[in-house]
Amino acid sequence: MRSFPRQLQLVGEILVSCGLVVLLFMAYMYWGTAERTASAQRGFARELQGEWASPQTGLVALADPGTVAIGRPFALIRIPRFGRNWQFAIVQGTGLPQLALGPGHVPGTALPGQLGNFAVAGHRVTAGNPFWSLPSLRRGDLVDVLTGAGTYIYRIVGRPVLVSPADSAMLAPVPGQPGAAPHRRLITLITCDPAWTGTSRVIATGVLVRAQPRAAAGGGR
Amino acid sequence: MYGWIWRKLPGGTAARLLQMALLAALVLALLWFVAFPWAALHLPVDQAGIG
Repeated sequence: MRSFPRQLQLVGEILVSCGLVVLLFMAYMYWGTAERTASAQRGFARELQGEWASPQTGLVALADPGTVAIGRPFALIRIPRFGRNWQFAIVQGTGLPQLALGPGHVPGTALPGQLGNFAVAGHRVTAGNPFWSLPSLRRGDLVDVLTGAGTYIYRIVGRPVLVSPADSAMLAPVPGQPGAAPHRRLITLITCDPAWTGTSRVIATGVLVRAQPRAAAGGGR
Repeated sequence: MYGWIWRKLPGGTAARLLQMALLAALVLALLWFVAFPWAALHLPVDQAGIG
């Protein structure tokens, strides 16, 4: 009779411990991933600023989308609607290991300023919540993309829309019309909806309104 | 389980408390820096990719 309560106590201790581990994991998903992303982003920002300070390298590197290695940063994105200090480095690739570093460029889609569709996916929660406010974007909001070649300013064309996670046609050079030849320079921002899930995606589309080559920008920034 | 660990540890109360704290810190560090980063990449949480 002595061993039965002791076994129960063991089960209880294990269950309580598991509960605490789950709580700790939730804390990690919120604060831990944010700190890891922030740390990677600090390195990326330094790296890009240094790279862009030496003239001409960016232009060559950006000529061919295939030259940006998966997980490597190549552009900075700023969205004033998300806050004056809101800035992330965009890395190549949209797998979970890349999105843990920051918003990711969908490989195979256009690069900043190119004809077609520059598609960028980012976490809505975790990893510093880069695209938390994406559903609040409205027509006319600006999206600045800085690369070694220059600054590209896109203007959001309408309210963000919900799409299926399988809707790869939204990534086509002409969104929704795979195979059609592009005549506009678009940006598509993608995140999950509802937050925390993989149920749907919410996307915001913008069109390029201005491109400033780096030389004309005075060499700085 | 925790009582069993307590009885296995050598030394007096203070030494045992210190060892328990070190063990807890070790387990927490393993979870936070190894297990959780791995799990975060393998759970379908907040998926943002398309296609």
